[in-house]
Amino acid sequence: MNNAVRLENLNFDYGKDFSLSIKELSLNKGEMALISGGSGSGKSTLLWLIAGLLRAKSGSITVAGQRMDGASESAADRIRARHIGMVFQTHHLLPEFSAQDNVALALMAAGEPEKTHAARARELLNKLGIERVNVPVANLSVGQQQRVAVARAIVCKPAIVLADEPTASLDDVNASQAMDLIQQACREAGAALLCASHDRAMQSRFERVIQVDSFVRTERSQAHSGARA
Amino acid sequence: MNDISIVLKSLSSRRLSTIITAASVSVATALLLTMISLRTASFEAFQRGTGTTHLLVSADSSPLTAVLNGVFYANAPSNPISWAKYQEIKNAFPYDWAVPTQQGDSFRGYPVAAVGPEFFTRFEPVRGEPWQLAQGQFPSKPFEICLGSTAAAGSGLRLGQKVFLTHGSGTSREGEHAHEHAEYPFTVVGILQPSGSAHDRVLFTDLDSSWILHAQDRREREGVEGLTTLADLKDEDRKITGILLRLPTRPGRDASAAIQQQFDTLRRDTSIVVAQPAQQIDRLRSIIGNVDELFIALGVAVLLSSGISILLSMHNSMAQRRMQIALLRALGVARMRITGMILMEATLIGCAGAIGGCVLGLIGNAIASGALKARIGLVVDPTLDPRSTVIIVAGAIVLSALAGVLPAITAYRTPVADNLRPQA
Repeated sequence: MNNAVRLENLNFDYGKDFSLSIKELSLNKGEMALISGGSGSGKSTLLWLIAGLLRAKSGSITVAGQRMDGASESAADRIRARHIGMVFQTHHLLPEFSAQDNVALALMAAGEPEKTHAARARELLNKLGIERVNVPVANLSVGQQQRVAVARAIVCKPAIVLADEPTASLDDVNASQAMDLIQQACREAGAALLCASHDRAMQSRFERVIQVDSFVRTERSQAHSGARA
Repeated sequence: MNDISIVLKSLSSRRLSTIITAASVSVATALLLTMISLRTASFEAFQRGTGTTHLLVSADSSPLTAVLNGVFYANAPSNPISWAKYQEIKNAFPYDWAVPTQQGDSFRGYPVAAVGPEFFTRFEPVRGEPWQLAQGQFPSKPFEICLGSTAAAGSGLRLGQKVFLTHGSGTSREGEHAHEHAEYPFTVVGILQPSGSAHDRVLFTDLDSSWILHAQDRREREGVEGLTTLADLKDEDRKITGILLRLPTRPGRDASAAIQQQFDTLRRDTSIVVAQPAQQIDRLRSIIGNVDELFIALGVAVLLSSGISILLSMHNSMAQRRMQIALLRALGVARMRITGMILMEATLIGCAGAIGGCVLGLIGNAIASGALKARIGLVVDPTLDPRSTVIIVAGAIVLSALAGVLPAITAYRTPVADNLRPQA
């Protein structure tokens, strides 16, 4: 079993307007792939499906050898907590919590022993260059907040990190630094990385690029193919 | 990191709103605790004040007035009873004791009661607790006076000091009718231990002294000069305002089967009013009960409104916390666990409010019992009634938890994906 995540015969739709269909897609442990596509093309939807936050109509999703599809909501929560790390475009850190507490939240969700939370969070944050671990994250710079968000995603040593447009709000220089950070952190944690981005410049960073458009049928694409026919 | 620390951080991030909401629960809890504790304690104190008296005879307008005046010194009884009538009543039945009392004078606003010697030797202000002296002795000669504990503390009088009594209750309403019996100084010979009854704010002397004071007034009106002595007293001077009666009982028992029979016998005499103090206290409780039920209803209403304020405060915060809830869900925290955190948050506000309410309630009780003691000498236990406290505190916490149900449902239903997408 070498797959971090594996999708087979997956079908999902938002009614008639949008449908996503994947015959087979897998990502090996430690592999890094970019999901490419324009805005609204379904990149985030694919990530939410893998994370178990959206439910597929049919097909199977396996994360770290555990079936996400068909699992009860609480079982899906456990798989997500233990095997999936998530990075968001706007970090989504809790501002009133310290950097250490934001990272510890992920350990708590994964059911790790409470007495290990502080030490593990602090150690990882220090490793990522955050020394002021006990100040509220609202008092940290944007770059430091990004490091805290990455630390939260990898602290549980997940099988896969799902990154949803992690650089969309950054300029080129900062976007490049952020991606360096995410990829290096995943590499060191041994986690696969599935990164959704509409930025074509990102493609050179990944050994594998998945075009989400090939899985998706939208009202617009149907109209287009109908016109061609 | 655990659920409690998340809840505490969440409450701390909305500190002002949390404090105000918990304070409203505290006020409601304290109001209810004080009302209920004081109601229970004050009626107990009223019951204590009747002591070992089975029947009270006076010439007041009603049995309730007789008890309020004769036992709680609300006012001086308006009509006297002759000494002959006292003898007639006393000799008509083999009472255990029959104590004559006379009221009408005061000292610096404290009522003065002239009593027969059995008042100190036979009557007990609280059943099983006879009078105890803190200092000195009981009056044994005319113009000696013994102070109740509240009167002693309030007047600052000490043993051996001379005092002059005032005719009437000493209130400004009496105007020129109030005058000082300046011819007859009384000597303080004793100070009583607190009894926890209305008697504590009274100064006690003997009947002869009181009769001499009032005979002096009569003689002055008649133009007779010189100080009045016992030998100058006429039958019309020997008046009393009340008779405390106790019927014989079996050892160790307070009740007697003959009380009702004797009550009915005495009631046939239309020149007097006879009351069973315990019954009249119950009657007073039923009259006042309606008023304090209104206060308790008010307290419940305040508690309900504080529950609504918890609901509103948390409901309003839910809009700001959607991202937090969605993030916790994305990290793998179960819906029910988040729902539990919201309920815990509401419950903690209720707990903090209830604890604050207990503290406020104790302070309120202490203030109220101090005021009752100072104003009417009623000694009310300032501690909280344990049973009522448990019920009210539990009620406040349950209500607070219930107030968290709607926000908890909102949290349960919070969509994850929608709330984690960047806002446009």
